[in-house]
Amino acid sequence: MRSSIKPQLSHDNRSPLRDLAVTAGLLLATAALAVFLFAFVSKSPFNLALFFMIGVITIARHTNGYFYGIFASFFGVIFINCFFTYPYFQINFTLPDYPFMFVCMLALSCVTSAATSNLKQQGVAIRLHEQQMAEAEKETMRANLLRAVSHDLRTPLTSILGSISAMESCGGSYSQEEYQELIHNIYDDANWLLNMVENLLSVTKIQTDGPRFAKTPEIVDEVVEEAVTRLKKRIPTADIVAELPEEILMLPMDAMMIEQVLINLLENAVFHSGSQQPVHLLVEDLGHDVAFHVIDQGKGLSQEQIAHIFDGACPTAPSADGQKGIGIGLSICQTIITAHKGSISAKNREKGAEFLFTLPKEEADA
Amino acid sequence: MHKYTVLIVEDEKNINEFISKTLVSNGYRTNWAASGKEAVSLATSLCPDVILLDLGLPDIDGMEVIRQVRDWSRCPILVISARTEEEDKVNALDAGADDYLTKPFGTSELLARIRTSLRHSAQNSSNPQQLYQAKGLEIDFLRRIVSLNGQPVHLTPIEYKIVAHLARNSGRVVTYTDVISSVWGPYAENDNKILRVNMANIRRKLEASPAQPAYIFTEVGIGYRMIDDESAVTAHIPEMYGAAHSIQGDGKF
Repeated sequence: MRSSIKPQLSHDNRSPLRDLAVTAGLLLATAALAVFLFAFVSKSPFNLALFFMIGVITIARHTNGYFYGIFASFFGVIFINCFFTYPYFQINFTLPDYPFMFVCMLALSCVTSAATSNLKQQGVAIRLHEQQMAEAEKETMRANLLRAVSHDLRTPLTSILGSISAMESCGGSYSQEEYQELIHNIYDDANWLLNMVENLLSVTKIQTDGPRFAKTPEIVDEVVEEAVTRLKKRIPTADIVAELPEEILMLPMDAMMIEQVLINLLENAVFHSGSQQPVHLLVEDLGHDVAFHVIDQGKGLSQEQIAHIFDGACPTAPSADGQKGIGIGLSICQTIITAHKGSISAKNREKGAEFLFTLPKEEADA
Repeated sequence: MHKYTVLIVEDEKNINEFISKTLVSNGYRTNWAASGKEAVSLATSLCPDVILLDLGLPDIDGMEVIRQVRDWSRCPILVISARTEEEDKVNALDAGADDYLTKPFGTSELLARIRTSLRHSAQNSSNPQQLYQAKGLEIDFLRRIVSLNGQPVHLTPIEYKIVAHLARNSGRVVTYTDVISSVWGPYAENDNKILRVNMANIRRKLEASPAQPAYIFTEVGIGYRMIDDESAVTAHIPEMYGAAHSIQGDGKF
């Protein structure tokens, strides 16, 4: 019955003018309905007092501070006294129950006002806190990324420039084989840089489009296939065994980004596990989610690595002999999976390491 | 011997140079257009056998070049673009481009794509293909039979139509829209979900390992590419050997 006023009530910064309007409107409505009730339904002043309480609570709930609620209860008490109790159209405080009813309504409005203003404050505080958390998280991610980028990109660039200047300054004294080797190194490093650029593109996409970047339903088989094909194009020696479930799975995702995650995890397993055994990519249907496991048979991860492997600040394994860093690729994986509302983790198996990420089948907030 | 002419439309001089060097050393003749307008006028005057077109041109949009050339010529157009520009590729293919190459690409990939498009442009004018054959997969278009290593494969009528359409266009990418209109008719709803579910089923029947397919490759966001037909290998196209995807990893340049 008071729905005409309600739509505005969710706004936060209320002006006193608006509060006044709300109070006046609700009081008028309550009074009018009370007259209606008195005329047609019940002549008992107690029922009417109860009805007025609803009005008082609503006003206290939707205004700022105690004033309006208390005002409304005063109004209610006087209104009932004046119009609905004998003698009609006179204010008479000598009735026996009167002081009690008056105090009750007053107390009720005070309690409601206190509770609602408390609630409102809490709501504002929670929202502010959430905002700050998200902002901080974004900031950390950006800082980690920049640090990882500048560190990781320098290594292959140094190697490329070094190889080229070696060839330029040698004056033709290298053998054909030495040239081939240098060219091959340049090719590898350039390829690696290319992959990094594509990683960065995925991340920029998340950061510019925000968490609502376009997700389309994709068939898991196809995404896995393209990821494996693209990785093998770059690293023909990579030995990957993929196991997919028999039924066809469709998942909402940005295919390019998830491919990038798979490529990063597979590449990491191929290069950093220190094993020549094939890398297993296992897709598993968990009901609400789909899990992707990347399992290698290598040397596993240290405790320190497991704790920090996705923050982009991971110390490279001590035995990594000048291998390119793995930090940036994995921190990008985490960024992408988090943006898809999935989860990613790393653990050791009996032999080797396992990286696992899950993606939800349906968008939770859709 | 007659040399095929390739028109390279590319505003980056270095990229043009590497493409041109590769093609010349493989027996093609090349011409270079650095802008869209130049490309249109050179295409008219030279009548090249293949056009390599970079979509990002300084003057007019690459799409406009495709439309203008398609007005009067069936000459194969290969689009060159970056990996992130899926939508551009689909638009270019639907506007009449024959295939695309993703930057960066290797020389072997480039040569394979050019050979495939030359073959398809030659085939259009001759008899329709009757047999497709690659790596133990055989399709008899007259009897509508698909067999794998001599064993018949049971496909539903829809699945057969999809496979046959891809096989007729083997070696080059076929967009979702193209497959859908060829299988379900031109008025079918352009929803690629059904097609993709069908494709997943086809894969389970044809491929030993669906994640590492041997015959039909996914081009995510665009469509499918079937491995090049081995029986179509003919002598008159330079170095006509090897399919687009059997040469992964050796694309050094």
